[in-house]
Amino acid sequence: MEKVRGKEKPRLWLVLSATVAIAVVSIPLVYLVARGSELSAGQILQVLSRPRVGELALNTVGLSLAVSVTAVVLGTAIAGILTRVRLRYGKTLLLISALPLAVPSYLASYGWLVAVPGLQGFIPSYVLLTAVTVPYVTLPVAAALRGTSADGESVARTLGLGPIRAFASVTWPQVRPAAVAGGLLVFLYTLSDFGLVAMLRYETLTWGIQQAYAASFDRSQAAILALLLVVIALVVVIAERGARRQVRRTTATHISTEMISAPWRTVALALVALPPVVGVLIPLGGLGVRLVGAETIREVDLSRLALATGVTVGASALAAIVALIIALPLAALAARYSNRWVGVLETLGYLPHAVPGIVVGLSLVFFSLSVVPALYQTMVVLVFAYAVLFMPKALGTARSSIESVSPDLISVARTLGSSPLRAWARVTLPLALPGFGIGALLVAITTMKELPATLLLRPTGVNTLATELWSRTSAGEFGAAAPYAAVLVLVAAIPAMILSGVRSVAKEEM
Amino acid sequence: MTTLRLSGITVSYGTRCALDEVSLVVPSGSLVAILGPSGCGKTSLLMAIAGLLPLEGGSIMVGSRELSGSKKSVPPEQRGIGWVPQEASLFPHLSVGDNIGFGMSKGRRRNERVEELTKLIGLEGFGERSPAQLSGGQAQRVALARALAPSPDVLLLDEPFGALDSVLRHSLARDVARVLREEDTTAILVTHDREEALDIADWVAVMDQGRIVQVGTPVEIYESPSTPWVASFVGDTVELSGVWRSDSLDCTQCGSQEFCGPGENRPGCTGHVMCALGDVAATAKGVEPRDGDTVRVVVRPEWLVPSSSSGVPATVRGVSYAGHDALVEFDLTGHPERVRARIAAPFLPSVGQGFHLALRHPALVFPAHPQNAALL
Repeated sequence: MEKVRGKEKPRLWLVLSATVAIAVVSIPLVYLVARGSELSAGQILQVLSRPRVGELALNTVGLSLAVSVTAVVLGTAIAGILTRVRLRYGKTLLLISALPLAVPSYLASYGWLVAVPGLQGFIPSYVLLTAVTVPYVTLPVAAALRGTSADGESVARTLGLGPIRAFASVTWPQVRPAAVAGGLLVFLYTLSDFGLVAMLRYETLTWGIQQAYAASFDRSQAAILALLLVVIALVVVIAERGARRQVRRTTATHISTEMISAPWRTVALALVALPPVVGVLIPLGGLGVRLVGAETIREVDLSRLALATGVTVGASALAAIVALIIALPLAALAARYSNRWVGVLETLGYLPHAVPGIVVGLSLVFFSLSVVPALYQTMVVLVFAYAVLFMPKALGTARSSIESVSPDLISVARTLGSSPLRAWARVTLPLALPGFGIGALLVAITTMKELPATLLLRPTGVNTLATELWSRTSAGEFGAAAPYAAVLVLVAAIPAMILSGVRSVAKEEM
Repeated sequence: MTTLRLSGITVSYGTRCALDEVSLVVPSGSLVAILGPSGCGKTSLLMAIAGLLPLEGGSIMVGSRELSGSKKSVPPEQRGIGWVPQEASLFPHLSVGDNIGFGMSKGRRRNERVEELTKLIGLEGFGERSPAQLSGGQAQRVALARALAPSPDVLLLDEPFGALDSVLRHSLARDVARVLREEDTTAILVTHDREEALDIADWVAVMDQGRIVQVGTPVEIYESPSTPWVASFVGDTVELSGVWRSDSLDCTQCGSQEFCGPGENRPGCTGHVMCALGDVAATAKGVEPRDGDTVRVVVRPEWLVPSSSSGVPATVRGVSYAGHDALVEFDLTGHPERVRARIAAPFLPSVGQGFHLALRHPALVFPAHPQNAALL
């Protein structure tokens, strides 16, 4: 039967509101570029040619490359073990391997610092960031492997290839897009990470931006570093797009799992366990030990803790609502129509994914100071920053939940007398609402963990759990930081874990 | 009056033409089946009528009301046209009763109508169930009731039985035809199942590549197809080549006489052809071959019967058994061409047996060259 969809022209008001939404989320980046273009070429060159800047950039790119390459190799291996080797409790293992996603990087480094106070430099940063980000590769590759028939690999074996070569020549081309896309997320995560590298005193661009902003009145240096960071991010995003070759997968009819001998099974299990142990178990263990220590219980300031929790939860809830409102017209447009402009809008909608939090924070400092000074250092700007940063998470789930409502249902509602808007209210909205809820929850959970933009934009005297944890730790008060870390795990990490159990899509979005 | 009139409607996607000046009249209260292969434009036709697809040309009228024309197009919700899509597409968040009542405003009338329709489709007591608890056939009935509830002027059914197994689809198709007659609804049924179309429709329109090739009663479509393509699309055919003779055979000598006498739907003949089956009565439709022209002869396998006295000698070459009958392939003595005859069980011949085969229905005659036939 012929399919006759997607030919209808999108309604003007929908295109207009989606365009407005894009314009709004583009404010930070556009404003930063506009400010950057006011600087003279000499000024820019002078900043960029400082050896210090070259060192920061090299540190950043080196760390990001090392972490993402390791994550791709390790994540693909773990995904292969989880899907192709016969293991007991396979589902539980998959869930456990997703856990590091729920732990913000600075919490992991805090936990390690509690256990091993002297940690610093490249190696600890590299190991910890890899442990925390591996699931970005493991989960999509495992999903791709589950959708890929193992028959091809078996055929290759019967044609005389060894197991590794069979995997490389048959299966890898089919999961490569998932692995590379996961690697990109890891690269962007590492690039924009601030808390972990700062705690472990490994100097990257985000750290440099924060220093330049805090230390000098001339903020153009911070702006130039931020632009440099954005350029690196965009180059990597574009390179990944160019390298992406979609291979049509052979559909999995059955998935065979292989039995392996006991010693090898131990090695496989150890590999699967490595990231959760390094990224979750040891840090949370360190935190737990510290939490029950006498010193901590004496130092805990309950009213301050309650206030920070309230601010964190309140700001996150607001951010989730705003992000959903911004994402909805875009999601509705992208789910139902396809033309060039809709494609452009949707791609722009995902752009904030590539923009580091510290860049959005810095740009909104400039923006609020010079355009809306009344809002400078208010919750309005902070919530707006959160909404811009994490809107793509709501966009993805909102889009797919609208898409899952069959257009036939809408057509039926129309022939039964409902106008387009009424059909949306009576059919699309009730069916897509759970998806919208999950999208908003994702935004809220991620917002609670946000650190660098919060540090720049929070109103004076207002603290979130993340900033409290940060300032205690940077002052060396590990004990005093423990209660904040614990509450943060309670309000952000645990819901994230539950959500990742509820919905497999959500795991890849966090 | 709810007669539906389509006049020269044209729809295209980019450069591909989905509907090419389609014209059709669906008389008030009748059921018209649109029969055609996948991709022939059937679904596009329904969506255009429902107002879900904009027209490029032509007009759509119901009674004296213009729904789509050169200037305006009434939106789907104001057309009074019901639609039953391919998959039942019930609203998953609403109960069966709320699905049926979706198109009506809340109130006592709605409740009564929902009750009446659940009874009509044989699903009494299912009102509170969720669509997920229904079987495929039940879901299709609910989709039908939902479309009927607001009493539309015209009902469109898009392969409503396509996803069901063959036993269920035939009983459901008859049920649906009954419901439509009881509701006196003007309806269009799109299908690619020829038996379904011939069985339940008042009229059949055969579509191919965005055009309507032939419209007629089921008997007309099957027995007097207008092109060889229609002939082979609506049923099995035997094709031979022959030479046209403009004079008729002597009726008392003709093998077709008992199917050719006076009466309704009698095919009659306009001449005869000389072919592997001998000299047989024939009807040339839409073409006027000259005496002595080579022509394409088409007959149905069930028009050929074994005979002891008349016809041409033939030997059984193979039997393809279908339970209630069999298609028996014959070698014709002295001719390279083979024919297939449908022979009713249980008296089936065996391979190698000799027979005489006689034609009991005037043969259909078309121009000899297939490329000419395609232009018809």
